Parts: sequence; C-alpha cells; structure tokens
Amino acid sequence: MGKGGKAKGKGKDGKGGKGKGKVKGGGKGKKGGGKGGGKKGGGKKGGAAKVVIEPHRHEGAFVSKGKDDSLVTRNLVPGESVYGEKRLVAESADGEDKIEYRVWNPFRSKLGAGIVGGIGACPVKPGAKVLYLGGASGTTVSHVSDMVGPEGVVYAVEFSHRSGRDLTNMAKRRPNVVPIVEDARQPQRYRMLIGMVDCIFSDVAQPDQARIVTHNASFFLKNNGWVMISIKANCVDSTAAPEAVFASEIDKLRKDGVKPKEQLTLEPYHRDHALVVGIYRASKKKKEE
Amino acid sequence: MLLLLETPAGYALFTVKNKKLLKADADSIFENFKSVTDASRQVGLTAFHKFEDTKAAMEACTELTESSVGKSLKKFLKKNVVDAGLADSLTVLDKQLGININKKLGIEVSVMSDNLREIMRGVRLHLTELIEGLDEQEVRTMSLGLAHTLSRFKLKFSPDKVDTMIIQAVGLLDDLDKELNNFAMRLREWYGWHFPEMGKIITENLAYAKVVRLMGLKTKAKETDFSEVNVPEEIAAEVKQAAETSMGTEITDEDLGNIKTLSERVIELTEYRASLSEYLKLRMTAIAPNLTFMVGELVGARLISQAGSLMSLAKHPSSTVQILGAEKALFRALKTKKQTPKYGLIYHASLVGQSAPALKGKISRVLAAKLSLCCRVDALGDQVEPTLGEEFKEYVERRLATLEEGGMKSLSKGISRPTAGKHQKKPSVRGSGAAHSAEDDVVEAPKKRKAKAVEAEAEEEAEEAPAPKKKKKKKVVEEEAE
Repeated sequence: MGKGGKAKGKGKDGKGGKGKGKVKGGGKGKKGGGKGGGKKGGGKKGGAAKVVIEPHRHEGAFVSKGKDDSLVTRNLVPGESVYGEKRLVAESADGEDKIEYRVWNPFRSKLGAGIVGGIGACPVKPGAKVLYLGGASGTTVSHVSDMVGPEGVVYAVEFSHRSGRDLTNMAKRRPNVVPIVEDARQPQRYRMLIGMVDCIFSDVAQPDQARIVTHNASFFLKNNGWVMISIKANCVDSTAAPEAVFASEIDKLRKDGVKPKEQLTLEPYHRDHALVVGIYRASKKKKEE
Repeated sequence: MLLLLETPAGYALFTVKNKKLLKADADSIFENFKSVTDASRQVGLTAFHKFEDTKAAMEACTELTESSVGKSLKKFLKKNVVDAGLADSLTVLDKQLGININKKLGIEVSVMSDNLREIMRGVRLHLTELIEGLDEQEVRTMSLGLAHTLSRFKLKFSPDKVDTMIIQAVGLLDDLDKELNNFAMRLREWYGWHFPEMGKIITENLAYAKVVRLMGLKTKAKETDFSEVNVPEEIAAEVKQAAETSMGTEITDEDLGNIKTLSERVIELTEYRASLSEYLKLRMTAIAPNLTFMVGELVGARLISQAGSLMSLAKHPSSTVQILGAEKALFRALKTKKQTPKYGLIYHASLVGQSAPALKGKISRVLAAKLSLCCRVDALGDQVEPTLGEEFKEYVERRLATLEEGGMKSLSKGISRPTAGKHQKKPSVRGSGAAHSAEDDVVEAPKKRKAKAVEAEAEEEAEEAPAPKKKKKKKVVEEEAE
C-alpha cells in the first residue's frame, strides 16, 4: 500500500507539473474533491491489481493508477464493454457504491491520444453538446458519451453503412448518443436532428476536412464554440511534409473563422497526426479586454 | 421575410420583425441574438406544426433529407403562407428544397445571403425557447428517436447490398484459395511420410486428395481401381508400381483415419470453391456485364471490392482504375518522387497478361480507359448484354495487336484511321455517339446511353485529339519512305 501511495504521489506531481501552466484553476477544484475522497483501495479485478482512480485534469476523464497509468472514463452503462475494452471497478468517494470505468486506449482513439498527450483545453466535458464527425464504429464516441454524461449529447455522424451499423448498435444502449448515418459534407441533410452544439470534434480523414468542419460549424456550432480536428497528414497531401500540411490546414481553418488555440502532435500513438483545437467565431470583445 | 426551420418535433415558420437586420453588417447580427429576449425582439414565430408521432416525423425527415417537399410540409406552407396571404419571400436552409418549394407552391424563395445565414444561426440558437410549447427535453427525445429510426431505415435499405455480396464472395474466394493450398500442402506432407513417392506422381491437389481417400494405405494400391477418381491409367500404374517399392514408414489405422478426414475436407472445400466461383460469375454478369466481359469476373469483382461498390468504381477516373490495388506502391512513389506504378489489380486481366512485358503498361492504360466507361454503363445504365464490353474488348485487342506488330509507327496508323474517319464523317457529338453504339441504343433507354456515349466520345477525343494532324504527318512520312 505504501509503495503504491508513493508511486501515486510521484505520478501526480509529474502530471501536475505538465499541466500547471495551462489549466490550473480547473484542475484544482476537481482535485480537491479527489484528495478528500481518496477513492483508494477500490474493487479488485482478478484478485491482483488494486484500482485507484483519480480524476484527470480534464473534467469527465479519469486516470487509473497502477503498474501503468491509463486513461479511463466512467462507464455510462455499467457492465458493458463497447469494443472489448477492459473495465475497472472502483468504490465511489463515500465508499459505498461501486463505480465502473472503461479503459481508453490512446492507440485506438485520436481524442484519447490527445488527452494523454496533454492537450491544454478539452471542450468535451460533462454536459457538453458535441457534434462528432466521422464517428466510425463508435469506439471513441462511446468514451465521449461517457465524458459528457447523461446531461450532454453526442451527435455522431458517420457515412459508411458498415460502420454506421456498429455505431447505431452502440447508441442503442446510450441515450446521449444520436447516431446519424449521413455524409458529413452535406450538413443540410441532417440539420433537423441537431440543435446548436458547444463543440465539434472531427476525425474524418478527408482531403477537404477543413471545409467539411467549417461548413458544419456554420450550421451547428455556437459562436465561441470549440472545434477539435484530428488531421492525418497523409490524407490531405501524401507528398508534402506533415508539418507543412498541418500549417496549411490551420490556415484554411483560420480563413473560415476558427481561431486556432493549440496544435498537438499525436505521436507516438498515431503517426503523422495532429490534433488542432480552436474557437469558432471567437467574440472580439474578449480580445480587446 | 419568412424563415422556415425544421426541428425534430415539427416545422416552424418565423417572421423577421427587425427589417434592419437584412441590411446590417453580417458580423454584427450575432449581437442581436445574444439572449432569448433579444432574439424574440428580432423574430417572431408565425406558425408551428408539430409532428403527430414518430412515424410522421420520420416521413417528413426522409423527405427533407431528399430535399423534396413532402405532404405535411406542403400542407403546412400552403396553410400558413399561401392561404394566409403572406407575400414575403421565404428562406430555407437547403437550397434544393427552396427550389422545389418554389416549383410546387409558387412561393418566392429568397437566395441565401450572409445576413440570412446569420439570422438563421441566431434563430437556431434559441429555437426551442422561441417556439412556445416546446420543451428542450422533448426535442431531445424526439431527435434521439428520430435519428435511430432514420439510421435504421437507412441501413435496412442500403443500396450497396448487391455489391456487398460480390465483395464478400470474392474475399471468401481468396481466403478459400489460401486455406485450400495450406490444407493440400499439409496433406501431402502428412501422407508423404507413408507414401512419399506419390507426391511426385500426382501433382494435382484434388486428385491427390481423392486418391488418398480412395486408397488409404499404400499396401492397398494393387487392388484399388483408380479409374473411379478419374486418374489416367498410366499414372495409376505408376502409383501401383511405386507403392511396392515405397520407402515410406508404416502408419496405423488411426493415423490414416485422420489423414482421410483431411483429404475429405480438401475435396469438400474444392467443390465449395467451384460452386462459389460459379455464384460469383452469375452475380457479376448480372450486375456488371460489360466489366465482366472485359476482364472476367474475378478481376472485376476485385476492382469493385477495392473501390467499395460498383457505383464508387464508376465514379473513379480511369487513371485511378488503372492503379487500383497498387495504393501502397503509388503513395511510396509519390513520396519518394519516383515513378508511379503502371498497373494494380488490372494486371491480372488476361488482356494485360497476354501482352509483352514492354507493352503491359500501355495496355493497362488503354484497358483502364475502357473499363471505367464500362463501369459507368454498368452502374448507371440498365444494360443486360455486354455490347459495349464486346466492342471495347475488340478495340483493346486490336490495339495490342498493332502495338506488338510494329511499335509506335504502325500504332498511329492502325488506331487513328478508324477514329479519324469517325470524326470526319460525323463531326457532331450526337452523331458520333450514335455511330459509336447504335445497337446499344436499342437495348437501353436512350437518354442515359447518350450521356454515356458523349462521355465515351470525350474520352476518346482526349486520348486521340491530335489524330488528324498525326495522320497528315504520317502521310508525309509514308511518302518519304516510299
């Protein structure tokens, strides 16, 4: 136990050091709760590893401390894995209820890789309305649905019928996921299903991704809403250097009213990928202040 | 100015109260929609039609995604705009829907401007609050239910389902070939311990498996009648001879039983493979007759499977069709600025296979050009007979023959003449289209066919645009040669 505690402390310090500069305030309040509650010595899985879950500095995500730290989200539908991922059970703060978490593999998810990689601001948080373009089979969508919780909504758009089937199937168990099997290039085809959203996450891997995203943003994204785009350099231009591709994509976004805030490489989880976070139609007043 | 907005719960019609908005700076419009009270000062709800149940909502939404004016929308607009005597122009988010409304109901539909787009955004931001008697939670459940029904409906009536059968069949065929080869090798290896000489004598896998099943132990070779499994007499005699002097080890009946089971499995799989191949052939000739005629069902099916569906294959340019399946080589070449591949899956087509190595690239290009035309006819036309395929195959064969005969010189001679003649005789596109495939037009709806023909013509023209000039030059050269 002592050893575990020590390791845990170290890990925390390291994490705090990394994130301190960016979102100290947000992390602090959350962490306070975490410390008080402890959430230690939770349920046992397989009789071996102790599960200690701590809140991540981004609201909605958690970190499980053990031999290796891993990113987890609180399972909205306890007792079920979506794509065969591991589940961990920990006791809640008051030590009464069991809370189930699902392990989020950054190798299988761009957003997961972005969070593990230490992204500064994550607009996907409890209560948020998220438009997820390129939902695929719903692996990452399920984690986003965990993060936004029952108050939030995830509108997951996927064009492929094959993947859309899995997505729709997954959405059956999660009332906060709205599956849409349509082409993200034509937002007017699903305009009646979606109200205004707080954040658009896009993982469509198309050459005209920037256009797709801003087109959707003009339909559905609130002013000052967030845009998160995972850019795969190879899909935009396989001959140019990845850095040049990222820069040109960011330029395109800027032209269409997205104010880029951050660019993060997804190495080593995804090769030649970058996650770009920006604000759509940021109000000018704030800038002047 | 009227605004039409769609929610999962129903249609809503708004009027813009503040006319200044239309002339204001587009960027500042947002300021006027900051809160619900602000927004309600700018626009007012004129009418709202609630969908009765999920079924009605689904019908309406399906119509909306298709940009057509459904019954309920028509009724709604008629009641609230036409009958109410509103002469204002209407704004809709979907351009195509606007055009259709204008056609059906004669309502003036305004062109989407930046200002209107901003106003629409503003209204959408407070949509649920602006519509009285609409609960946020209710809209949420409606949209969730609607999305599920819509996507289920969409998945159920997927248009690619016939293509999926082909893609799966050709995938299974490849898997079967691989597994079959594995099993046959294992059988040879296993039985080879008992009777190693037979592996050399019977080379065909199916015949080998059949002989193993029939004969069992090599000691029984003498009294076995090999004609049962269609083994020629001389080979049977050879087997019998080898069995007597074999240096293989003895095996027990139990071992033999297992080996026999494996041989049965090999035979079964081979038969299944044959029937699957027959099925694929039937499906391919039904779906893509021209494509199948040009390259055979296997290559054709692989092309479809690589592209995802016949429709998406038809949408690919012929340069893509040419290297479909060689993506890895292509992107490697693009990255290192080396030469891009000349052929992908198309390499396995008999037309490419039979040409000389130096001509393979050229022929694959010619073939791909014709293939992409065939795919388009197959995907969009309703032809059953491969008339176009026959014509094109002949063309490619002719071209191959001329290429093999004398290289570049006779190439332009052999090819440009008929094409140039075509151009001269019928300069208009329509005329040449008819000449191109007059017999096709009989089979098919002329409209579609014509479009195809024009395309075909365009492609040919692009390919052989300088044909007449070349001919002239050619003549000069010929004269000189003479």
